[in-house]
Amino acid sequence: MVSDEPKRVAFIAHCLLNQNAKVEGGAKRPGMWEPVIDLLRERGYVIRQMPCPELAFGGARRFWGVREQFDTPLYRRHCRRLAKLVAAVIAQHAAAGDDLVLIGVDSSPTMGIDFTPSAPHWAGKPDIIEDDSALVRGDGIFIEELKAELAERGLPEPRSTGIRHWFADYDPEEELRRLGALLK
Amino acid sequence: MNDPRARRVAVVADSLLETTLDELGRNGFGIIQLPPAGLDRETTGAWLEQTAEHVAEFRRNDYEVVLVDDGLLTEGLNAALDVLGVPPLPQYAIQPPSTSKLMPDT
Repeated sequence: MVSDEPKRVAFIAHCLLNQNAKVEGGAKRPGMWEPVIDLLRERGYVIRQMPCPELAFGGARRFWGVREQFDTPLYRRHCRRLAKLVAAVIAQHAAAGDDLVLIGVDSSPTMGIDFTPSAPHWAGKPDIIEDDSALVRGDGIFIEELKAELAERGLPEPRSTGIRHWFADYDPEEELRRLGALLK
Repeated sequence: MNDPRARRVAVVADSLLETTLDELGRNGFGIIQLPPAGLDRETTGAWLEQTAEHVAEFRRNDYEVVLVDDGLLTEGLNAALDVLGVPPLPQYAIQPPSTSKLMPDT
């Protein structure tokens, strides 16, 4: 029997459930990022995986990139096309009174929530030896488009945070505390 | 750079995600979740279209891709794959629960 009780629903970045969508060299696990998936299941959240805009646009063999490289009108249109699909599902849950959260990836130019990588000087031959990009405050391109789509539809923005497993000072305990506070 | 991805992807029906997640995880699969029920036809079709784009890219790069299916969206998914020249995905055989508990102790 399907319950009419409000549900807890987590909209998550694609790669948290599918590490194969990461750029080559970017996966941390064989299949999924269990620390988040396990916590969501423990807390009784319904998982809603979002599409991976970078995989569909740049392919599985794309190079690593920063926000300035992705921030083109065409990529934004691609992100908006996918954001419309996610917004349609968010609308369904919002109408049911469900509790919604959004979990992105804070090292991503596309899925960043609180941080996104920036390097205005990155261009041309892809032979950067040392990663000299900076993590700056702000949303990734897809997250910006999703928020714009939600605003156009009059839908609320879910509470949100980003996974930081690629930060140099990554602290798993801090992340679990932050996620725990988000999930209530 | 060390990258432990298993290059195995399972396209999973929304209704089967929770019950198959542990097994798929143990076997190293990453997951592409199919859209939930209750969306309008146009949105569901567009969702399957973008799913097929993900699948086509994985197949083009020789990732293993399988389907864990409840049959509700098979036709639409196959049509979207066909547009991209991708044949229907092989079905993943869900492992039956262990019968060891039914065996007498020896």
